[in-house]
Amino acid sequence: MEKMLLNNVDKPNSEKISTYISGGGYKSLEAALKKEPEKLIETVKASGLRGRGGAGFPTGLKWSFIPKDPTLAKYLVCNADEGEPGTFKDRVIIEKDPHLLIEGMIISSYAIGGATSYIYIRGEFVQGTKILEEAIKEAYEKGYLGKNILGSKFSHDMHVHRGFGAYICGEETALLESLEGLRGQPRKKPPFPALAGLYAKPTVINNVETLSCIPAIVSKGADWFKGIGPEKSPGTKLFCVSGHVEKPGTVELPMGTPLREIIYDHCGGIKGGKKIKAIVPGGVSAPILMPSYLDIAMDFDTLAAKKTMLGSGAIVVMDETTCMVKVAYIVNRFFSHESCGKCTPCREGTAWLTQVLKRIEYGKGKKSDIKLLDEVCDNIFGNTFCPLGDGAVMALRGFLHNFRDEFEYHIERKECMV
Amino acid sequence: MPKVKINDKEVEVKDGTLILDAAKEAGYIVPTFCYQADLSSLGSCRMCLVEIKGQRKLQPACITPVLDDMSVETNNETVSSARSAMLEFLLSNHAFDCPVCDKAGECELQDMVHKHGPHKGRHAEPKHSFHNKDYALNAVIVKNSNRCVQCQRCVRVCEEVVGRGVLGSIGRGHIQEETSFLRTYLDCDHDGMCIEVCPVGCFMRRPYRFKARPWDLKSTKTVCPYCATGCRMTIQERDGEVVRSIAMPEDGFNGKMMCARGRFGYDFLNSKGRLTTPLIKNKDGVHEPISWDKAIDIIKTRFARTAPEKIGAVASARLTNEALYLMQKLMRDVVGSGNIDSSSRWNHSVVEGFVQATEIPKGGTSIYDAMDSDAIFVLGTHVSDENPVTDYVIRNLAAANRKSVFVATPRAMKLDSSAQMVFRYKPGRLAAMLGAIVGKFQETRGDKLSSVKGLSPTLSKDLEELSKASGISLDDIATLVTRLNISEKITLMAGTELLRGGDGIKGLGLLRDTLRALGKEVLVMPILDRSNQRGAWDMGINPVFGPGYAPVEGKWKGTEEMLEAALDGDFDVLYVLGEDIQSMFPDRSFATMALSKLDFLVVQAAYMNETAKMADLILPGGSFAEKHGNYTNQEGRVQAITKLMEPPGDGKTDLDIIWLIGSALDSSFGPNLPREVFKEIQSKVDMYSEVEPTGFISADTGEEPVYKFDFKEALVGSGSVELLDVEAKDAEIKIGTDGDHPFMLLTGNHLFHSGVMSMQSELLKGLLGKPIIEMSALDAKELDMNIGDLVTVRGNGFEADFVLRIKEGTPRGVIFMPENYQEIAVNKFYERKTGIPGVNVTAQRG
Repeated sequence: MEKMLLNNVDKPNSEKISTYISGGGYKSLEAALKKEPEKLIETVKASGLRGRGGAGFPTGLKWSFIPKDPTLAKYLVCNADEGEPGTFKDRVIIEKDPHLLIEGMIISSYAIGGATSYIYIRGEFVQGTKILEEAIKEAYEKGYLGKNILGSKFSHDMHVHRGFGAYICGEETALLESLEGLRGQPRKKPPFPALAGLYAKPTVINNVETLSCIPAIVSKGADWFKGIGPEKSPGTKLFCVSGHVEKPGTVELPMGTPLREIIYDHCGGIKGGKKIKAIVPGGVSAPILMPSYLDIAMDFDTLAAKKTMLGSGAIVVMDETTCMVKVAYIVNRFFSHESCGKCTPCREGTAWLTQVLKRIEYGKGKKSDIKLLDEVCDNIFGNTFCPLGDGAVMALRGFLHNFRDEFEYHIERKECMV
Repeated sequence: MPKVKINDKEVEVKDGTLILDAAKEAGYIVPTFCYQADLSSLGSCRMCLVEIKGQRKLQPACITPVLDDMSVETNNETVSSARSAMLEFLLSNHAFDCPVCDKAGECELQDMVHKHGPHKGRHAEPKHSFHNKDYALNAVIVKNSNRCVQCQRCVRVCEEVVGRGVLGSIGRGHIQEETSFLRTYLDCDHDGMCIEVCPVGCFMRRPYRFKARPWDLKSTKTVCPYCATGCRMTIQERDGEVVRSIAMPEDGFNGKMMCARGRFGYDFLNSKGRLTTPLIKNKDGVHEPISWDKAIDIIKTRFARTAPEKIGAVASARLTNEALYLMQKLMRDVVGSGNIDSSSRWNHSVVEGFVQATEIPKGGTSIYDAMDSDAIFVLGTHVSDENPVTDYVIRNLAAANRKSVFVATPRAMKLDSSAQMVFRYKPGRLAAMLGAIVGKFQETRGDKLSSVKGLSPTLSKDLEELSKASGISLDDIATLVTRLNISEKITLMAGTELLRGGDGIKGLGLLRDTLRALGKEVLVMPILDRSNQRGAWDMGINPVFGPGYAPVEGKWKGTEEMLEAALDGDFDVLYVLGEDIQSMFPDRSFATMALSKLDFLVVQAAYMNETAKMADLILPGGSFAEKHGNYTNQEGRVQAITKLMEPPGDGKTDLDIIWLIGSALDSSFGPNLPREVFKEIQSKVDMYSEVEPTGFISADTGEEPVYKFDFKEALVGSGSVELLDVEAKDAEIKIGTDGDHPFMLLTGNHLFHSGVMSMQSELLKGLLGKPIIEMSALDAKELDMNIGDLVTVRGNGFEADFVLRIKEGTPRGVIFMPENYQEIAVNKFYERKTGIPGVNVTAQRG
């Protein structure tokens, strides 16, 4: 299979602009600048590219919502606040092939008519920030950024903005608040960012991986892209596999690759030959999958049909020695810690769930606790301001549904089943 | 207009109406915590979740607008159970210390749980506790975060209404706390807006702490007596002591808004210094009690044996319309003297010019109509300090509706930060600035301005001179003119800087007429600093005009002229009502000398004051909490004050005292009940004939009219407009600085004080007790002085000590001194007819 995202990452000095250019980099930008922006949006629409941040919204469609009024300032914001536990795909691009992202962003900005773009990067990515800043400097020096790029009428500026350690800022409207210097809490929608986003101006927010697909789509065409993977979610996908596997890491595979193939063929199977117990298919807010689903095709629609999700493509593999109560507790503690505090059910509810799960984990569970967890989950789900609270509930419900016996055992015997 | 079905009822509402408001219209109240109409919407508490037919999830009614054909359920089982679930969440970390919480009994959380459940909680885990002990945020605000429901109303109100932004959310998730940084003292406006909007007992009043439960309190609806913004409020007493004043969101144009003076300045009512019996000065010069009968008898004799032109009266602009009306009736109709004035601070001729320029006789203007303009030009009023709630309204509405605000004042103020442009003209040079603006209009659109009366040609040389004199660059003037040119409706708000010396009154009128000649709709709104200043003028408390601004016959004297005549030995009897001429007349030594030459001085006051100390006879008057009546605020809105308690001792209300004097002199003097006097006002004064005062209980029906927000029926109508045709004169303000006295001395109201009344409030004195001056940082640096230094100010042969404060934005060469101190008479620095005095400031080295 031809790669489009991880072509350069294994080269020495892969983050340098010279390496990128010698591999054919910035050719797509040259080609794109000769096209009408409208045509580019059509191409991306035709490619069927869907957002790689988790929601899987069609990228071309998102771009087409931006008003065409040339007097309006528009922004492109790259969501590089990669914080979903188990996810480390964007980091690979940022640190190993920053110019792929930058080129994708310049093309995308040209398509929507944006004179300024921002990369909102997770605060903990200190190294990544330095690399991106250096790469942007290189791009300015070579004339890929700044005034009249490659002799065209298009001028563009790009900035890197570090977050300050809040998971919620990966939610796009909270990200915008944070970027504006405000408290990172989600905004009400509507208005959607496409109409009133950053500084109340039309704004496109795309994930690192999504934007990194753009150069290949421009150079090789929409049909080529559409030919990879299933019809409804085409292209390749970065899967980051962690947990009890022999060879954890990030792999680029076509969408729809079966889970079994990813784990056993590309990641060396389960560590120490143990039995597999459960798999998180798309970051910890995605409900857990049982081994019986190993042959599932990893794409947006197939997983959604099984009431879980592809999310960011973060696969966490757990073997038979894993205590699911402890996992549920740790995952929930994460959500409670990251709850921004804006809305009541998420703020109070996730904290409450954590308290109960902690008690169970530490052998102080009560018989009524499982019912209580179910009911508190019901009271949170669907009532929160943004998807964070829902994500916490979806994850916990996955554990409660699939491993109820383990919770009961923990409460009764005050010890782990495994 | 979308039609929506709320439960079983169909309503038709305006486009963009929130489900919450549509439900209200249909008669269903959706409970909320975080929602407050005048704040930015949040949608975070999730109490208002409702079911929209066809939608998978419940939606927040407070941020979701209705669509046509929408069908909403606000009370079905899904909604009720979600509501109860949200309350269970809110209670999970709530302190549950209602028995020791000041809010208990009027707590929104208590009421909500009582109504919507759950009545049994399941949260049995340890609670998060922010702190073990309540902590003080400043002298008047105390905080308990363990009770917080995270509605963030406090944070938003501080930012969006007060414009301070000293509160914020610190931390994240369930340990997020709304407080100040490091939980230290706030350097804030001390207006307690955070307390007012807090639904629970998280922000509390320190002075009210553990003093009462709501059901212990006796309340009355009234109007704040401080400035002429005229906030409606409720004052509450327990066992004869007024313990708090609260806003009256359901019954006042000010909603929940009140300032530090209104919210914490009520305790002057409990002041120990009240006068309780008439006092007469004996031959040794000592005041001793006499009976009311004797006191009235003495006045009667004095009035009867003195020539009317040698009798005069000066009344406070904080008396009720009824008392003021009756006072001028007594003077004009019974005594036969038109020597009447309403303030000792400004000259009556300036008042006439101001009344003309602001078109007060044309009737009232609601501040909400005024704010519905494209541009709001605030000039010559330090509204943030003098009329804090007016400042809140301007800030809040200008930001919410994207209106342009322009500010022109000689000193910095908080509203500057909400303004598109700030013009810091040189003190006393507003006239020059307005001249330059009008001149610029002439230069650009002169052909349209031929109809403007009194407009003389302005040459470009003149423009440069005016610009230089005012200290405002021609570029800035040009930008302002461009901005005004593109506005269709413009509001001019003008205040006490114009009244103080007459600076700019003519220019204001010319600007108004110029804008009108250019086809713009122009509203002029006076910004006044005494609660019933406009009412006093409406009632004809002025030597030149009578009730309704009708010109009076004969030539009569204002305060300054009466004092001048007294000094010449040509004036005998002065009746002073609620005013302290000695402290407030802008030339202390002149006032003292003139008053001492009077034959007979009667002072009617609630407290002993500097003027009363000189009086031959003192009459104990009542405070605003002890009487019924009406105030007319700066908008021309008539609002009722009602009686909460009896005057202490033998005290009587001002109205009663005037009536006693009046009927002693003339047995057919007329009614003495406030309602009946108001009826007489309505029949005699055209402006008031149709008015329905807010909160006023009608004499005929005995009922209070049903209140509507921004009740326009309470605005006064048009009076006599003859006065408007007189040509206004601009006063030339002299500047008294010289090499030895390099600083211009400006005075006015401070945020915590207005006049001498606030000095009776221990709470306000606690916020600012010591006399201060404000100076720019650069001047202080040059003089090697720091914040908090003790400094001596010298000028006009007088010197006094002050604490130095440095205020950002104060121009160089200017110091500001609040005008209210009794221990240091600020007016001793002033000499009448000499304009702005020059003073010097020296550090006291210890």
